[in-house]
Amino acid sequence: MAAAGDIRSALDLELVPPAPPPQKKAAPPAVRKPEGISRELFSLIGPSSTTLVAQLAKPRLKQKPNLGQGSKIKWEWRAFKNGARTDSLQLHHWTKASADPNEEYQFAKYNVQPVAYTYSQDEYTRFLEDEEWTKEETDYLMNIVREYDTRWYVILDRYDFPSPKERTMEDIKDRYCAVCRKLIRNRPWAGDDASKNLLMASFNFDKDREVMRKKYVASLEGRTKEQIAEEEALYMEIKRLEQNERRFKRDRDDLLRTIAGIESGLPDIVEDEAALTGMLLDAKRNKRKGGDLDSPATPLLGGSIRRIPTVPKNTAYDLQHCITRTDQTGTTKAAHQPAYLRSFKLPFPKASVAPKVSQTLTELGVSHTRLVMPTHANVALLEGLIDAATSLVETKKVVDKVDYDIQVLKNRLGMQGPATKMEEGEDGMEVDDGNDAEGDIDAEGEDGRAQSVVSTRSARSRKQARRSVSVSSVDTSATVSTRAGTKRQRRN
Amino acid sequence: MSAERVRVRGLNIHRPIIYGNIATVLTPKAREALAATLPDHTHTWTVAVRGAASASDQDTVGGADDLSHFIKRVTFKLHDTYPIPSRNVDKPPFEITETGWGEFEIQIRITFVPDAGEKPITLYHHLKLHPWTATGDPEIPPLDVAIKAGPVHSWQYDELVFSDPFQTFLATLTTHPPTPLVRSRRKPVPFHVSNLPALEASKGGTPEFTAQMEKEEAERLEEARKTVVAEEERWRMKLVEKEKELEQLQKLVAEKAQ
Repeated sequence: MAAAGDIRSALDLELVPPAPPPQKKAAPPAVRKPEGISRELFSLIGPSSTTLVAQLAKPRLKQKPNLGQGSKIKWEWRAFKNGARTDSLQLHHWTKASADPNEEYQFAKYNVQPVAYTYSQDEYTRFLEDEEWTKEETDYLMNIVREYDTRWYVILDRYDFPSPKERTMEDIKDRYCAVCRKLIRNRPWAGDDASKNLLMASFNFDKDREVMRKKYVASLEGRTKEQIAEEEALYMEIKRLEQNERRFKRDRDDLLRTIAGIESGLPDIVEDEAALTGMLLDAKRNKRKGGDLDSPATPLLGGSIRRIPTVPKNTAYDLQHCITRTDQTGTTKAAHQPAYLRSFKLPFPKASVAPKVSQTLTELGVSHTRLVMPTHANVALLEGLIDAATSLVETKKVVDKVDYDIQVLKNRLGMQGPATKMEEGEDGMEVDDGNDAEGDIDAEGEDGRAQSVVSTRSARSRKQARRSVSVSSVDTSATVSTRAGTKRQRRN
Repeated sequence: MSAERVRVRGLNIHRPIIYGNIATVLTPKAREALAATLPDHTHTWTVAVRGAASASDQDTVGGADDLSHFIKRVTFKLHDTYPIPSRNVDKPPFEITETGWGEFEIQIRITFVPDAGEKPITLYHHLKLHPWTATGDPEIPPLDVAIKAGPVHSWQYDELVFSDPFQTFLATLTTHPPTPLVRSRRKPVPFHVSNLPALEASKGGTPEFTAQMEKEEAERLEEARKTVVAEEERWRMKLVEKEKELEQLQKLVAEKAQ
């Protein structure tokens, strides 16, 4: 007796795991006798003979729509407000008189704005540098994409940037998607990995493939009538040849079988060879009986099945024994990692930002030095949290720096009025003196709030802003931009 | 011999343990008994290393599993004022009971069975005698208040991780699977300074470690991360705006300079 699996493998079909045991048979629901058939006949043939039933059952027609009957509906020509509009354009439409006039315009919700990705200078230099694109052009691209709501044909039409290269649609799409992808990948992500990957996938763009596809489409559409006719004729010819070939092969196969039997080999006929080896393997497998039901149903090639007797790889088993498996490839025999306590391996923020990161976390009620349950998963979560906090602290630092630069420039602009250079210097000194006394104490007190998650304005920037007055005028230590600004002033 | 000393590569196996102490104020009777020798001792305490799961039929924290199949010895190093401060415990239960009056750091050294081929692990536990406070800061209440509050528990969950264990050792471990933590809370929550809001939930008897605690901590961490990411998003928007402002200012300065 051949099992279903044997037949399948003989036919070179994929082995499927045996069907789950049939569910407990529910008592057949009492089937109602269809109309148009006598009770005796129905009890004889049962509900299964569908053809009979289908023939005998009366055709069921759709109920006639109830038109024009019932109460009359009144329609009105009414003005309405579209909540999605920013202008105050007033439009009218027909609406049921019974509808609430204050109701929100039902199509307003479809005005969905795509997420506009923006990036800071720092992010640009770190992730988004590209030889083909300048930052200015990338900025322009991101703006125009937002303006025209990712309608690429419109964008391409309006795209007008004095770039050295003519941009094709693929160029701008590719750049836009690449920028978005890189930003998503490198920024801390609030949700789980699956949603991140999903979003990343939505920005996948294969430029070469797209170019190729368009070329194909163009050539397909560009054929002449004669070419199409010729192609079709050729196609029919090929089909015919293939059919002939197949028939010929089958005949030859039959002949060989009748003459030489199963040992004939049949070297040319691929299908049969595969079926044969499949049969042979199957015989082997049957001998080994015991049936690995959970072994993957991969096609067995060459018949050499190596099975290393290791610990069964089974998640339930692993969970029970607290086993985690790591990818073995790549691990060398180098050093053995000694036994450790999970909490020894708690992640630690980078030294440069550690105090601020830990302060941020403390505010959120999380201690990064101790966990209640330092399990593998929780340690990984903590790592993600610390990464996010580090990134936050670094962003704030950059904001502070930019703030400082802005203050410097503002002061410079403010002072470049009628005052002469000498007076400027003196002014600056005075302001500086006045500030240092009270300013520093102030700043010390506020420093705690500087990294506060909830604070809206960093106090450090205020502190720097105060100092900036002196820095800009007295050319001592300062940031690059300050010095550059001062020099320009001197030249002037 | 060499054939058996094969490491199973690419495999980590861990055992959930807890370590910590329970402390109770001495009864007047017990104090009287000690009055002659140690008049200033106020508390009796037990420091222990146990499996994390609690046995349902016992009123102790953890200890459902016997750990002696992989732990050979636990050495507790007490304060130097105790006689023989370094105490070895070679068989379960791995714990020391003593009396005392003050909190101090206890060094705990876990030595594994020779088959493991692992070096001992050293960890530290702060002996906790006085009740926990809402802020987590130490505070010493008068004795009668402490008596009312009941025994003080201070336990830390942790996992002993063995990577690439020897095959024989792995076999030993897998023949003793740890009792899984109970799904959800049925006793008070063990208090931990990293989760101060759980103070109330920690009162009222012997605490127990549960799988729910892990899940809750995961949620706390996830929540915190979401907050941080949202905050960063805000700051980034601000940064982009500021950079635009800066650019304009730079242009202005450049124009003026000409």
